[in-house]
Amino acid sequence: MIAIALILGFLFALTAETIPCGPLYASLHPDFVALLLLYWAISSSSELSFTIVWLIGLLQDMVLGDVLGAQAIAGVIMIYLLYTGLGRVRGLSSWEQLFFIFLLLLMQRLLVWLWQAWAGAITWHFSLLLGPLIGALLWPLFTLALDYLRHALRPRHI
Amino acid sequence: MPALFFPRRYPPLLRVAVLVLLTVFVSVFSEKHPNMESVSLTMAYPVQWISMQGTSFWQQADNYLQSRAELESENIRLHAELVGAEPKLLEADILRNENRQLLALLDSIPQPPGKVAVAQVIAQNFSPSSQLLIVNMGARAGVFVGQPVLAAGGVAGQVVGVSPMSSQVALLSDLDSSIPVQPADSDTPLLVDGRGNIDSLAVPFQPRNTALKVGDRLVTSGLGGRYPPGLNVGTISAIVRNGDHSFAQIMVQPAVRLGQLSTVLMLWDNLSSRPAATP
Repeated sequence: MIAIALILGFLFALTAETIPCGPLYASLHPDFVALLLLYWAISSSSELSFTIVWLIGLLQDMVLGDVLGAQAIAGVIMIYLLYTGLGRVRGLSSWEQLFFIFLLLLMQRLLVWLWQAWAGAITWHFSLLLGPLIGALLWPLFTLALDYLRHALRPRHI
Repeated sequence: MPALFFPRRYPPLLRVAVLVLLTVFVSVFSEKHPNMESVSLTMAYPVQWISMQGTSFWQQADNYLQSRAELESENIRLHAELVGAEPKLLEADILRNENRQLLALLDSIPQPPGKVAVAQVIAQNFSPSSQLLIVNMGARAGVFVGQPVLAAGGVAGQVVGVSPMSSQVALLSDLDSSIPVQPADSDTPLLVDGRGNIDSLAVPFQPRNTALKVGDRLVTSGLGGRYPPGLNVGTISAIVRNGDHSFAQIMVQPAVRLGQLSTVLMLWDNLSSRPAATP
């Protein structure tokens, strides 16, 4: 049940990233896939497989049509940093997590940007910073909604 | 969560390092093999199909909920536009006739008009590094790499990747995009480059004393054989001439509202169906 919900969740996140809603939405929307990965990594009791994270990132690159591997590697490094450096984030409330989420999303966005720069065409634009900021500000709401969903989907043993 | 491929006993840093190497390999491999584009478009299609269903549902709901007053005002506006357009159409007819006669005088064969098909935009990716659309028409509908893509107003871009069911369109504003143009009233060959900015293009390499003026309309010149000549590309919106740059900084406002596209026209032109030179 949880697995199906996760697959649907990632499909939904990928769709939300590419849905054609005009240039304003396109430059402001947060990276929903990264947010969902962070939520999964923070709330799951067991450790996420890096390979799964990598494959999800690769699918995201394919859907976005970007340089292959950019999101994949940024996602893996983001989750690695969460596990090794920022393990204590798990114990904080979602409001306190907001700052760390911002740092992680920002680092992820910069890694994607660097990977694209390495592959060729790139320019800097300040809107690159807005996505992580909006993503972090949405985090408390996001965790609230997903916590509720997870609670509703929890297998019940009598 | 089961460990895929890697046993957990390896340290996390090693697992991440292996994945980094794998990513470098995938990245280099996909750059070397042009048909990787088609593979990744095919892999992405299911997700985009879902997105397309969502958007068309939303559009239908939006149409249904649109108020009568809005529809009436739109109707009045469209009628007014039609009245304005009729004389222009007549003029175009006269010009087309005249053109055919002149071409006959020159002994060249008038070219049959190209074929167009309407494609729906199913995904977009606007970032400073790429300005791409995915449309719901692919190799099965005869779409090919390098095909011109039009929209209301003029040229929108060209096809850069094709899969059986969908294709990837690089807009004029994409960093890698460059299109040969000329002013509508002269035949100076120019280029219009994308700068990764959805509502501003640029004309590169023009001297600071260029004869171009703000307000000049730019149309495709047909050089290179990819776009047929005479299609609207944009209007010069600003020219900055200062000593900081060796060339004039010429900004062009695209004729098509590139950010708002929901449908585009795929063009099969007798010119562009010819195998084109490498871009």
